[in-house]
This record gives sequence, C-alpha cells and structure tokens, in this order.
Amino acid sequence: MSQQTAGPDRKVKASSKTRPPMFLETVVFGAGVPVFAALAIVYGLLTNFTEPVGFIGLLLLAGLAGLVGFFLFITGRTIDARPEDDPLGTIESAAGEYGEFSPHSWWPFVLGLGAAVVFFGVAVGWWISGVGAVIGAIGLVGLIFEFSRGQHAH
Amino acid sequence: MTQVGTIVWLSSELMFFAGMFAIYFTHRSVSDPAEWAAATDLLNMPLVVINTTILILSSFTCQFGVIAAQRHQARRTGSLLNVRGWGLQEWFTLTFIMGAVFIGGQITEYAELVEHGLMISNSSFGTVFYLTTGFHGIHVVGGLIAFLFVLGSSFVAGRFGHREEVRAHVVSYYWHFVDVIWVALFFVIYFLK
Repeated sequence: MSQQTAGPDRKVKASSKTRPPMFLETVVFGAGVPVFAALAIVYGLLTNFTEPVGFIGLLLLAGLAGLVGFFLFITGRTIDARPEDDPLGTIESAAGEYGEFSPHSWWPFVLGLGAAVVFFGVAVGWWISGVGAVIGAIGLVGLIFEFSRGQHAH
Repeated sequence: MTQVGTIVWLSSELMFFAGMFAIYFTHRSVSDPAEWAAATDLLNMPLVVINTTILILSSFTCQFGVIAAQRHQARRTGSLLNVRGWGLQEWFTLTFIMGAVFIGGQITEYAELVEHGLMISNSSFGTVFYLTTGFHGIHVVGGLIAFLFVLGSSFVAGRFGHREEVRAHVVSYYWHFVDVIWVALFFVIYFLK
C-alpha cells in the first residue's frame, strides 16, 4: 500500500529538483579544482616559490580533479538520468546490465606472463625482455581481437 | 565502463607527468642559469614548432574520426579526395601518419642535439629534456599502436558496432591527453626555458 502511494509522490519530488545526471559526481570531483589550486598558491607563497615540486604537483592535482570532473560532466550530458540521480531511488532500481564483460579469457594471463618476463629480463638479462615483449604482443593481439574473430566474428 | 577505466588510468598518467614536471622544475631551480641557457640555445625552434602544429592538428583529425565512429561509419563513402565522406579508417590513418611524422621529427631533433653534444648524462638540461620529451614520445608511440588496434578491429568487423565505437572513443581520449601534455611540455621547455 505504501509502495503505491510512494510512486506518484516520488515523481513530483524528482521533477521539482531537476539536476542533470551525474551532477553530484561532477561536483565532488570538480570541487577539487579550486581547492587544490588554492592549496598550490598557499604552498607557493609559504615556500616563496623556491620549491617547485609541491607547487607543480598540487597544480596538476587540480588538473586531475578537473579531468575527472570534466569527463563526468560530459558523460552526464549524454546519458539519461540513472537511478543514482534520483534522491529517492532504491537499490533494486539499479538492477540490470552493467556492461560488456568477457565471461572468461586466457589472454590476460598471456599478457601478464609477457609483462612478467619483460621485468624478469630487466633483472637477469636484457635479451629476455625481448622474448617477453613478443609474448606480450601476442597476448595483446589475442585479447583485443578475441571478440572480433572465430565464433564471435561480427 | 571502458571509458571510466580509461579516465581513471589517464588521471594516474597525469600524476606521472606531474612527477616529470616536478623533476624539470627542480633541476631548473638548482642548476647554473648560464649553463642552462647554453643548453636551451641548442634547441631547434622551427622544427619543434612545425612538429607541435602537426601533433595539435592530429587531435582534430582524431576527433573527426570519432565523429565518424559515432555514425558507425568505418569506411569512406565517396572518393579519397572527398574528405566529407571519410569514415573512421581514413581519419585515423591520417592521424596515425601525423603522429608518426611527429615521432620522426622528434628523432631528428634528438639526433641534432646529440650531434651538438647534448646528452642525457652530461648536462642537467639534457637529463630532464630527454626524460620528459622521451617519456612523452613513448606515450605517442603507444598511441600509434593503439590506433593500429582500432583500425585493425574496424577492418575485422564486418558490422561496425558499439564495441568498435567505444574503442575509437577511448583511444581518442588518450590521444587528446597526450596532446595536451605535449602543449604543456612545449610551453615549459621551449618557451619558459
């Protein structure tokens, strides 16, 4: 009974407070830009800009926050509102498909083996790294084209 | 899902390059200014300006390729000269060529500098110059390999679909990122000196 009355109620509340999808995510990351930029300036003033590592690092940290925030903003403009965007959304309304995942694949193992052999070569002898690079290349091609060939060809 | 992973990874890449910039500015602040100026005078400005222009333009051709991918158009509709009918393959091939030209220009630049005696081991500027531009160059080469994989999967796919479109998208993210890093490097190394 309470479920039925909550239905129309929810709609009214959602429309009175229309925020674009992913609004909260954009704000959480976007807020990092002014925060870290201000921190960078404070850090620079305290060190008289004689210590550039922290200043540059903090400035680019603002860039990092901006990069993620900008991506979330762009994504929010291209997608429809998700259950997460509804203040009264429920867990079960987010049920369904989340993406395209390989059920099982041996290729990441080949790729990882290649990387392991490359670093083994750094420790033991450079020529082994060459062998690792070849194994890695085979693994990479196998992984990327796994769903483009054979029974998966489309 | 793939896009989110790419952005998370690119964020970590940004911090990697933050470390590179930090190395550069630390060297810059502790080294002898006269010695630094003598090394930066060796830089071949016309070559690097042309190179930079090519890399920036390649970001635009890459984006046109993504727009073609969004319409799920892998191949061109008209003749090769009709640019408006180009599909993903034509645009990404052009981008690949431009990126390869950039790498060629960078190798030429390195060869010239080595000829003038600027090595990674014999000067402070040489160390940071080869480290920062070299790591950027490796990233560009990685992007070129990624372009080959996108082209490969678009050729293999009989029907160009969502999967191929996502690949074009994430590689374009990476390419724009590498491009922006280069603009920052160019500004710092060649203009601020």
